[in-house]
Amino acid sequence: MRKVSLVLVSCLVIGLILSPCVWSKTKTIKVGINAPLTGDIPKVGEGTKYAAQMWLEDIKSAGGLEVGGKKYPVELVIEDNESKAESAVKVNTKMITYDEVMVIVGPQASSQAIPAGEVANNYKTPMISPWSTNPDTTKNRPFIFRGCFLDPFQGPVAANFIKEEFGFTKAAILYDVASDYPKGLAEFFKEAWEKANGAGSVVAFESFTTKDVDFSSQLTKIIKSGAEVLFTPQYYNEVALIVQQAHELGWNKPIMGSDSWGSAETVELCGKDCYGLFFSTHYAAAGAKGATKAFIDRYNKKYGYVPDDVGALTWDALGIVQKAIQSYGKITGNVEKDRKGVRDALAKIKEFDGITGKMTFTEDGDPIKCAVIVRISEKGEYEFYKSVCP
Amino acid sequence: MLKRRIGDLFIRVPLLGWLIGILIAVTLEHLLGDLLVDVLGLSKIPVLFGFVIMLKKPLLMPGVILYVLLIYIIPISVVARLSAWPANRLAARLLDFPIWFSVVIHLGLFYAALHMWSGISAYRVLTLKLTLIAIMVTLSLNVVNGYMGEFSCSHPGFMALGAYAASVVTVVLFVNDRLFGPALLAPAFGPFIFPVALITGGMVAALGALAIAIPSFRTRGDYLAIVSLAFMFIIKSMIENLEVVGGPRGLSSQPDYASLPIVFLWTIACIWMTNNFVQSILGKALNAVRDDEMAANAMTVNTRRTKIVAFLFAAFWAGVAGGLFAHVIRYVNPATFGLQKLAEVLAMVYFGGLNSVYGSIVGAVSLSLLGEALRPLEIFKWIIIPLLLIIVMIYRPTGLVAFKELNVRNLVKPKQ
Repeated sequence: MRKVSLVLVSCLVIGLILSPCVWSKTKTIKVGINAPLTGDIPKVGEGTKYAAQMWLEDIKSAGGLEVGGKKYPVELVIEDNESKAESAVKVNTKMITYDEVMVIVGPQASSQAIPAGEVANNYKTPMISPWSTNPDTTKNRPFIFRGCFLDPFQGPVAANFIKEEFGFTKAAILYDVASDYPKGLAEFFKEAWEKANGAGSVVAFESFTTKDVDFSSQLTKIIKSGAEVLFTPQYYNEVALIVQQAHELGWNKPIMGSDSWGSAETVELCGKDCYGLFFSTHYAAAGAKGATKAFIDRYNKKYGYVPDDVGALTWDALGIVQKAIQSYGKITGNVEKDRKGVRDALAKIKEFDGITGKMTFTEDGDPIKCAVIVRISEKGEYEFYKSVCP
Repeated sequence: MLKRRIGDLFIRVPLLGWLIGILIAVTLEHLLGDLLVDVLGLSKIPVLFGFVIMLKKPLLMPGVILYVLLIYIIPISVVARLSAWPANRLAARLLDFPIWFSVVIHLGLFYAALHMWSGISAYRVLTLKLTLIAIMVTLSLNVVNGYMGEFSCSHPGFMALGAYAASVVTVVLFVNDRLFGPALLAPAFGPFIFPVALITGGMVAALGALAIAIPSFRTRGDYLAIVSLAFMFIIKSMIENLEVVGGPRGLSSQPDYASLPIVFLWTIACIWMTNNFVQSILGKALNAVRDDEMAANAMTVNTRRTKIVAFLFAAFWAGVAGGLFAHVIRYVNPATFGLQKLAEVLAMVYFGGLNSVYGSIVGAVSLSLLGEALRPLEIFKWIIIPLLLIIVMIYRPTGLVAFKELNVRNLVKPKQ
């Protein structure tokens, strides 16, 4: 018993000594970051976290976030959702009810953003998913926004670009049938292409399943079909395999990709095979100017690599959050009231000038913004080629 | 020495006494929690006993420890000790009635405590619900891997079948959905039809189990592991290619029927039925089949029937758990029910203990809470949890509480 009481007393003493240091009753602005730090896509989580930490640094060096003439300290609540749907829901519930964050940025992937958005919307907490492209994330949810364009926009962008640039009329598509994003985008591309070139102009519509590594049978079919261009909206690991195998099988026509190509890994894995290819995306790192260049350089200096689109989109999402809080103009301390106010301010944002382009939110919470066509240069850099606006 | 003395102090406390102690502790938290938090300089009442706070802000550790001591440990132990005598009298009195009466009283007290505890924050409610569902899945897998001694890998597949079947029933009937059109019934019927939806989910999962059971039980040994693993992948790609239920994009907008009491009741039903099942003649036959199939056959056990019944039983409960899971998260996608889920469930079964209802509960609860508590450690969490598993496997190869029967009469009887 003596030991127990000893522990008890020492805890009490230390607790009471330390407690004044953490007794800060000033109003802090809490921003939640719901990111996949472990699991299937840790690189995405890392980009999110780094961008958020850079943003926080800026706020701190300015002495806090200025709202209505007063500076408030900002706290980031970064939580790991293990890239699992149920964990994303748990994390959102925790951040909203326990940490009482004002705004949530994330989750990135749609399979987590859809269920997590449900929670945030039910608790009337504004949430911006920087990277989720599934329409369901924001649909009928007034408190949910996103930071990127949607697949129904990107599909036609890629199709029209090929049409204008090369004048081709026959396209082939190769996509992963088991993954939400490539499948959706492949379908939107097909629709747009057939609208422009007539029915039957997609001469090969081939699919595979996640984790496949041999695409030779699909590629042989595509080559035989007489297609002039191949569209493959895949992630970086598959892009490298598809492009290399296509070239080995004798394909020498253009291959076009989508924003999922935008990771730095694509070129690293693919090498020379990918040089000269095009893809549509949110921003181009090489040849960037102004604020975009400043962001890329700073990120590169700090973390040692050029940020991919997730980092840039997260940065913009946080910028939007900052602007919304500032235009809301007051911190009442009543978090429910503040959330509502910030949500209304978010919906009203017009022409936000982000590093991934200008953004205005539609009623659904989706931004109207331009897409960028990027060319992979002979140095393996992502060069700005063209900008396509809605 | 100290341990023994503390043990002596509490040896006479019956379960009823502990439950009363817990109930008083959570009441105390409701009444004094906020006040104590202010005094100790914490920002809010620690969820999950302060693990999360301690890992994020080590500076607050003494305050958190003090909070846990003052709110949970001291009240529970003091009340349990002081109430030992009346609680024993009461427990003895309750046993004069049929056993179910006493069990219902105990469960009622336990639920009241859980309800109060989770009333503090929605995060606790969600964690609790998912933990209860994990108990169901673990228990049902234990029937196959523990009691039957086979190695089945198809439980995520059964969960997926149950989740999708139950979701389709509720979404078709009660939700105006993009995929299935307008609702067919008034939402008022929802909570009454929900059990039917869950049972449908369980039945569909059992039907799926039949599809593996018939071919694979003709053979012996490792075949079930391979066949069931294949089954899991088949189910996953089947759902991915079924556009009707959303394909890889998943199915959302399930109605919010899986409240805490509902999940609690289903979990209790699962534990009760599984416990009866494994203690029945069929359950003993199952153990006989595991230990020596030839000998069991010679002793007139119909081995094939026994195995198939147990397998379908396990699949049924996995399906029900899947249905509940879908309605708690209110979104399902095929990617959830992959290898990662399988690893999680297997870890819970082997961590907790084979061939034991206690073990499944211990495994599911401890790994669920550990996963939640260690979340702030990010990647290190995935080093610590597997390490723990390895340690358990080395020192207790069959798991923490293996081969222990859950005897309800022993549990609720007075300790004097």
